[in-house]
Amino acid sequence: MKAEPQAGQKLVVLADEEVVVTHEDIDRAHDRARVSAARSGHTLRSRAWLLWLLIGPGILVMLGENDGPSMLSYAATGAKFGVGFFLPFVVLTFGMAFVVQEMTVRLGAATHRGHAELIFERFGPFWGWFSMIDLGIGNFLTLITEFIAIRAGLGFFGVPPWAAILLALGVLYSALLSHRYWTWERVTLAAAAFNLIFIPVALMAHPHWGAVGHALVRWKPLPPFSNDTLMIVLSDIGATVTPWMLFFQQSATVDKGMTTKDIRFGRIDTLLGAALAAAAALGTILATAPLFGHISAGNFEAAQFAQALQPLIGRFGASLFALGMVEAGIVASITISTSSAYAFGEVAQRPHSLNLPVNQGKSFYAVLGLCAAAAAGIVLIPDLPLVFVVLVVNVVAVLAMPPALVFLYLLVNDREIMGEVPSPRWANVLATLVVVLLTGAGILYGISVVAPNAFAWLGRL
Amino acid sequence: MKHEEEHTSFAEASLVLETLEHDQLVAAKREPVARRQLQGGELALLWGLRLYLVFMMAVVFWQAWLAVK
Repeated sequence: MKAEPQAGQKLVVLADEEVVVTHEDIDRAHDRARVSAARSGHTLRSRAWLLWLLIGPGILVMLGENDGPSMLSYAATGAKFGVGFFLPFVVLTFGMAFVVQEMTVRLGAATHRGHAELIFERFGPFWGWFSMIDLGIGNFLTLITEFIAIRAGLGFFGVPPWAAILLALGVLYSALLSHRYWTWERVTLAAAAFNLIFIPVALMAHPHWGAVGHALVRWKPLPPFSNDTLMIVLSDIGATVTPWMLFFQQSATVDKGMTTKDIRFGRIDTLLGAALAAAAALGTILATAPLFGHISAGNFEAAQFAQALQPLIGRFGASLFALGMVEAGIVASITISTSSAYAFGEVAQRPHSLNLPVNQGKSFYAVLGLCAAAAAGIVLIPDLPLVFVVLVVNVVAVLAMPPALVFLYLLVNDREIMGEVPSPRWANVLATLVVVLLTGAGILYGISVVAPNAFAWLGRL
Repeated sequence: MKHEEEHTSFAEASLVLETLEHDQLVAAKREPVARRQLQGGELALLWGLRLYLVFMMAVVFWQAWLAVK
């Protein structure tokens, strides 16, 4: 088939072969040239440089998922249950996140296609649209909660809501200004590093390290079995594994230009991201654990947690906590709106890359910008019952995961598209366990809502 | 000027072909991935999870509505 260049593309004849080259290809080629050069070295320094070049999507997706509602969920966990079962449980949920996210690296590196694109083309538009509806609803609800977190976090410093939202949108749009995936990734990584601010806040709360070690090893003390506990379990799971993460990391892996040679480094990137995000999550639980038994933190917003912590960790510590919430909201609003824009471009077969200049990627940047602006606008409407969204968003994520994971499982085991790098048996077994666990948790939650006293006998044990 | 532009295009195209795998090129990605027929068991699983999701979403929104009220 003869290649036809379109707007913004060049037709070049090389060794009698006609090649259509786009701006996106050229930018990606420059990034890959640096990776190739680093790979040719065998010193420790060149390996470290190679790792630096290849990390990104894994850390971003994991720290991006430590978002506003997730940090609120961890804060509520610490305030409601203190130091105990939930510390190792949260580590386990990040283990689950690592298992499924590693599959998206493998899939993106082997196929060079985004997740939405593969579902649509491999299984047809019927199943593709179901996935897109799940993703669209989940992403939009989550984006709203990110701006709620930003508004609440900056509200602690007396910033009015409209200014907080404008500031957040300004940061989001600024990250896009370079029109280069690499620059966007590094800017967002730098912002995401502030997620670790919850660790010094935890240290200011002077946790009892003996109790922390005991909880991590023995999973004790166990919380009472109640509908409240079940809600926190679901909320903490939803804080680490959600559908947007699958779509984002696979698309970012493709946009970064990773290949099957990079899977090992993609795995390290994802593991590093999971470890950093777990540390920040544990830090948040430990920071609010001193509130255990003193307050009822059912529907607390970020600013209320910061205010409640102020007598315990001082104004500086409370300010760091509020800033952490703002950072969590901003980074997640960037990654989630980007995941929506990638998915839209893949399904609509429109150019979709952070390497695109604005004139070639109008629809990509429009979707990205409009999703964020619409969610931000909703947060500014007075008297909307937004607590409704905060309550459901993590639970919706848990419920939507099993169908998304089945598509991921089918794709990553599909030898026609995966070639020599299908998912290994250990990953398949773990992914199946994750699906069973998520579905089981969802069913338990459903029973507890429909028949609130169904598990009362367990609470008496 | 035109000559310089052509030279740049040639150099950039060479870099693209040297560093990117063929199916990483934007032009190559316009070719769709072949459709795969889902098997009976896979379809049953997907439909089961779809019904589960619809039912559970109704439960979630009902509970959240009660909580907000």
